[in-house]
Amino acid sequence: MNDVLSMFIWGYIFTLTVAIIVVTVYGMATRPNLVKKLILLSIMSDTASLLAVLIGMRKGMVKPPVFPGVTYTEHNPVSEKALESFAATAVDPIPQVLVVTAIVIGLAVLVFLGYVVLLLYQKYGTLDVRLLEKKMRGEI
Amino acid sequence: MGVLSALIVVVLMYMLIGSHVVAIPPIQGQRWLSWKFLTSTYNWQDKTLWAGSPEVVTSVLWDYRGIDTVYETSVFFLAIIGGLMLVRDYKPRGKPTGKGMSLISRTIVKIVLVAVPVVAASIALHGHLTPGGGFQGGSVFAVSSLLAIIGLGTGFLLGRGWSKSRLLGFRTLGLIIISSIALAIPFVGLLNGLHAYIIQNQWKPWAPVGFGYLADIPGLGSILYSGTLVFLNIAEFLAVSAGLSLAFIIMSLPREELKRSGGVEK
Repeated sequence: MNDVLSMFIWGYIFTLTVAIIVVTVYGMATRPNLVKKLILLSIMSDTASLLAVLIGMRKGMVKPPVFPGVTYTEHNPVSEKALESFAATAVDPIPQVLVVTAIVIGLAVLVFLGYVVLLLYQKYGTLDVRLLEKKMRGEI
Repeated sequence: MGVLSALIVVVLMYMLIGSHVVAIPPIQGQRWLSWKFLTSTYNWQDKTLWAGSPEVVTSVLWDYRGIDTVYETSVFFLAIIGGLMLVRDYKPRGKPTGKGMSLISRTIVKIVLVAVPVVAASIALHGHLTPGGGFQGGSVFAVSSLLAIIGLGTGFLLGRGWSKSRLLGFRTLGLIIISSIALAIPFVGLLNGLHAYIIQNQWKPWAPVGFGYLADIPGLGSILYSGTLVFLNIAEFLAVSAGLSLAFIIMSLPREELKRSGGVEK
């Protein structure tokens, strides 16, 4: 029973994440407003990060990848055994590292695109890509 | 359209599961590289590959994969520079206006505004001991400046000397600290004729130059500072908080002000 339930929950979560990514790609292709495209882009990058973190999950390993009980002043040498039992219960750190990098790069892209959208709006007075194209060609 | 989307979802799931990226339910046991990182970061017995920090994510970010993070920081810096293109002729004239929200909101914002930077500094300073780090702390700090912009008006931060050049100066100072730490070890290695790597953290048997990991401070005892990690975290905190605050301040400038300051007419 437990296995079936966990399989259902994991399958549900993964399918939902992939579905959100597909829906955001569809929205980016069809919505004409640039701000809406930007919002969908940020949702997509966050969902991709969530997918990456979920891939790092292991069965029965739910502790954060931080060796517990170490502070600035309390730092005793750790035995090999304690380290191995820690490594056997911690989640995979590599997807988390990739996600930190991806969030920073995503934020940089988002800030830059936000400025570009701001500039386009000031110059042409619209954010609709169909109108923008005509205005850039000088037809309106 | 809906059928096509559902089909794409099914195909993507099939590809993810078929290529063993995703396993439902999750598999048991670590991957080889993850096990290596988890067991060598804080390994006091075998210090060949260690980073001297119990935080595996920060160790991988700033030690094992440090150059990648340095480039990532510079990408973020370039994005801010691209935004500054928009306001390259901006000069504050007169007193900035903007009242913000109602009295209740302003009072609450003023209370929260003290707490958020403290939390941010704590996250950044404990980046090598607990989950968190320079980037996370900087992002939390930027929340407080965004809160001030929305709750108290744009004039609040500009009136307190948060000018464009000063914030950009802090941003650049953070980057200079990061790059000088990255190049310090190769420089020392070059002077002494020893093997050394860019952005190296700890002593290695074949590259015997390192930052150390314990400092004896009178009155506090020995402090675990994990080599370069704490300094890089502080520098990244400085850089990210100043850069994000600058980005938010520019985005919140009035429309006429933005138009006057170039980028559109020129």
